[in-house]
Amino acid sequence: MSAQVAFDRAEPICGMDTWMPVPARIESIIDENFNTHTFALKLLDDELARRYRWAPGQFNMLYLPGVGEAAISICSDPENGKELLHTIRIAGSVTSGLKKLGPGGIVGLRGPFGRGWPMEEVEGRDVVLVAGGIGLAPLRPVVYSLLHHRERVRRLVLLYGSRSPEECLYANEIREWYDDPRIDVLVTVDNATGDWAGPVGVVTKLLARLKLDSSNSVVMVCGPRILNRVAAWQFLQSHVPADRVYVSLERNMNCGFGRCGHCQYGSKFVCKDGPVFPFSEIASIFGKEEV
Amino acid sequence: MNASRPGMVEPQILPKDRLPELIRILQEQGYQVVAPVEEGSVLAMRPVSDAGEIACGIEDTQAPGHYRILDGPAPTYFDNVVGPDGPKRYFFPPHLPLFSFSVDDDGFVLEQVAPEPPRLAFLGVRPCDLSAIRVQDRVFGHEDNGQVFRCESETYYMRAREAALIIVVNCTRPGGSCFCGSWGTGPEATEGFDLSLTELRGSFLVRAGSSSGVSVLDALSTEPATEAERELAYLKVLRAREHMGRVLKTDGLGELLRNNPEHQIWQEIGDRCLGCGNCTMVCPTCFCSTVTDSNDLVTGNVTRTREWESCFTHQFSYVTSGPVRASISSRYRHWLRHKLSGWWEQFDMSGCVGCGRCLTWCPVAIDWTQDIAQLQREVESREAQRVSSTLEATS
Repeated sequence: MSAQVAFDRAEPICGMDTWMPVPARIESIIDENFNTHTFALKLLDDELARRYRWAPGQFNMLYLPGVGEAAISICSDPENGKELLHTIRIAGSVTSGLKKLGPGGIVGLRGPFGRGWPMEEVEGRDVVLVAGGIGLAPLRPVVYSLLHHRERVRRLVLLYGSRSPEECLYANEIREWYDDPRIDVLVTVDNATGDWAGPVGVVTKLLARLKLDSSNSVVMVCGPRILNRVAAWQFLQSHVPADRVYVSLERNMNCGFGRCGHCQYGSKFVCKDGPVFPFSEIASIFGKEEV
Repeated sequence: MNASRPGMVEPQILPKDRLPELIRILQEQGYQVVAPVEEGSVLAMRPVSDAGEIACGIEDTQAPGHYRILDGPAPTYFDNVVGPDGPKRYFFPPHLPLFSFSVDDDGFVLEQVAPEPPRLAFLGVRPCDLSAIRVQDRVFGHEDNGQVFRCESETYYMRAREAALIIVVNCTRPGGSCFCGSWGTGPEATEGFDLSLTELRGSFLVRAGSSSGVSVLDALSTEPATEAERELAYLKVLRAREHMGRVLKTDGLGELLRNNPEHQIWQEIGDRCLGCGNCTMVCPTCFCSTVTDSNDLVTGNVTRTREWESCFTHQFSYVTSGPVRASISSRYRHWLRHKLSGWWEQFDMSGCVGCGRCLTWCPVAIDWTQDIAQLQREVESREAQRVSSTLEATS
């Protein structure tokens, strides 16, 4: 579980030849907000755990035996080999079952799957990360990777939108990053509750505050569909090249390797061609309804 | 006639009364024979133990939303075309238990693996279905960036394919929904089979397409076809080619569909479509599936089973916020654009082979070949207008 081997894609350790997940134990569950929790997992097989590699932006199929699987992005610090974290919003039978199982429970894991963020493309450029809600989870590894190797990039900016201050993921870390001169963090909320004194409104409003060196920036966006759409278009309007605006897409995943058909987006299999796409690859269908 | 290379073998003649012998030889070679039989009110590819079970003297009439079988005037075997299902279910079963396992403190214990596929000889595969098998070969067998994913479901497919012997039948009486002629996937098969048959009056003209086919022919000890018999077989296939029930202009189709995702034809089709998914269940190339878990309450074992899935269902594209494709028109659009356009990008080939099942088995008789033709005419006339106005402007 140490640093990624491929810049955007590591091979599945467990799911490559089988629908049989490898067993993992839930080590701990950290509450992020009322319905979102970060699960720390440990593969039961030490040898597999040692060999396990992943890249920021990739996902695992987490499995609740007898119930089913859910595609969850890996949100660990890529250089913390002990960590295998998944931030999960409780939404359906699998995710609520995982929560009920609690620490010590045995779950299954297939993966990692998919193409992650362009971690080579960032070299020497400004990096702008835009996240909405749980979309911060797949970008957390990018933040850590770049903080560990801060010299690789020029500016590092994180724009994050949350429904309310209480629903903010990784609140303690965001506070740390806020005070960290190596990263510029801007957080906005839809509902300013409590003593919130920061920006209020949709995250795309924060873009206006950016002094963007558009010709030399890489943008990574992950959020609800509407955020992906508006953010991508705003960056394109600001003349960031279409092949440097990346979005991570959500689809229904079943197999994870492009055979079951569920996750198709136009002619793309989001599970293996994505979930991260440069805008240029999906320009003809991006923003079209129900494609 | 002991040539080992199939190309070296001259077309042979197999009298129809020797069909039982062909079945027996296949059985002696270890195959279970699968052939068209009358099942309920349709023709279906089913295991047979002797030639008498094979549907004979049956014709079919097909059109969008219409399928009937009836007694024909002659005791011919293949004066009909594809029924609702074909060989697909034997390679890619509609319901395949992948494995069962139990859970203990140390993890998962495998209790049962996927079944071993039977060794099947298919007698009477149509050229369109043979093309569809080759499409699925690529879907289930292709590599991604040099990575080969071989999960249980795909190894089943590969093993079933390797074990199978395919006897294709060239079509001499095309159906009302057929358009293999437009794709070049029929009415005659040119490769990918072990044996091919063309039905003549009292006999079949037989060609070998593989060494397995040659060994069957060797065991049959047949006579070479005469020049007249070969000519007759040629003419029968030629006539079929000229009498396709439907026509599809395939040139530039992928690009046309790629460029027109928001054309009104999608809404028009969607207004008629019931979203029943019949087209996907009868399609010989559709490969979508869902793996689900079931639990044995007695043993506590979990079984993971792969089942056919349809992109017309609500749950197919379901994410937490709802289905990605909520409207029926978007589902039809997805399905047809995938077949005719996206498939080229994914697998470098067409996802449609022109078997016409999606037309025949559509309960509301949607004939998308007509809708596509309308789209083609519109785009062409728009282009013609553009050219003429450009000419006017420059003259």
